[in-house]
Amino acid sequence: MNAAAAPAAAVALSLEARGLAHLYTGRRGLQPVSFAVASPGAVAVTGVNGSGKSTLLRLMAGLLRPTAGASALTLGGVAVPPAARREVVGFASPELQFYDEFSALENLAFAAEARGLADPHGLARAALERVGLASRGGDRVTALSSGMKQRLRLAFALLHRPPLLLLDEPGSHLDDEGRALVDRVVDEERRSGLVVIATNEEREWRLAAERIELRGRGLGDPA
Amino acid sequence: MPPNGSSSVAAVWAILRKECRSEWRTRYGLNAALLFAVATLTGVSFAVGRLPDRTDLLSALLWVVLLFASLASLAHAFVKEVEGHTLTLLRLVASPTAIALGKLLFNLLFLGVLEVVTVPLFLILMGGPPPRWGAFLLVLGLGSLALAATTTLVGAVVSQTRGRGALFAAVSLPLLMVVLAAGVSGLRAQWDGNPIGPDVRLLAAYAAAVLGASVLLYDHLWED
Repeated sequence: MNAAAAPAAAVALSLEARGLAHLYTGRRGLQPVSFAVASPGAVAVTGVNGSGKSTLLRLMAGLLRPTAGASALTLGGVAVPPAARREVVGFASPELQFYDEFSALENLAFAAEARGLADPHGLARAALERVGLASRGGDRVTALSSGMKQRLRLAFALLHRPPLLLLDEPGSHLDDEGRALVDRVVDEERRSGLVVIATNEEREWRLAAERIELRGRGLGDPA
Repeated sequence: MPPNGSSSVAAVWAILRKECRSEWRTRYGLNAALLFAVATLTGVSFAVGRLPDRTDLLSALLWVVLLFASLASLAHAFVKEVEGHTLTLLRLVASPTAIALGKLLFNLLFLGVLEVVTVPLFLILMGGPPPRWGAFLLVLGLGSLALAATTTLVGAVVSQTRGRGALFAAVSLPLLMVVLAAGVSGLRAQWDGNPIGPDVRLLAAYAAAVLGASVLLYDHLWED
């Protein structure tokens, strides 16, 4: 079992960005941004469409390489390089898709197995239980509604009990009960770890005590 | 906090199992590959009959059948992750090297299953001389390793480009020529009773070079 498999203990986590920016081909995905946040707590990232909220989360997760600036993630005083961030990051985003030919449970069990976690099926069942999808765990992903897929994304992010939770529009496609679930998850996770929520929904950014407002002009600025 | 060895091995194993289960459920590649192999061998057999003394043609035919039967599936290993938008999920649970090694092992297994069906059928239908099994399997195994390593690497590199279909063919063609040439030459040599050493060494060195380049490259893929 790797380090990330341990239940999220109150290990100090800090996340810092210094002039962090990303340029996609022909347009600017994220204008330079600087901030420093630490656990425990929750931070909201807000900004107009195309200002770079999702890009910022991908950079923090180590899924993208910044074209300028840098970000630093430390856990218990030890730096976590971008290539190893998947070990400590839970990531849920609308772009996250699952394997249609597998059930919800099989998708999560695969993720847990690939992460090297013990008892992948037990962890997958527990994660599905937590997001209220236990009764649909055996259904193939194609049979799930948009809201159920969003719950599955949350379960995927929570699967390995990460100390850093990156949630991109976590309430999208969710009904009232689903949004209450997001509230509950954020409230529980921010007590021991750090939750970063990218959103423009007032209900969601009010879950966070701090807020990072991205100042880009939106819709992907010309580079 | 670099990924430790045991979690990397777990990731490779999990990805290999996932690929096998996915292939078993969708039958995306294997059915098409077997259909191509069986149809080609049957068609050639009807057209020209058995070729017991044409080891040059036999060697080329076997590699051509294996190459074209497997190529669509081998090339698709990464493309299906990009087109299904599941590459983000994979990248969140495993390193690029673990992902690529899992895919490479699956491609090797895929080739092995294809060969288990194709080679006996080929020997029966084309009536080739009995192979020197040790040499035959060595050439086939090393050729398959080089083929799988090359197509996996090229597939990974081109998977996120727009013209990936055309690019895969353009990039892999010159790389696969070496494998084809050495594979055909090695098979012919074992049938003709000639030494296979030079061909085996070339295939082994080529496979090792591609695998070495792959390990160096994989961790820098998909970051932009």
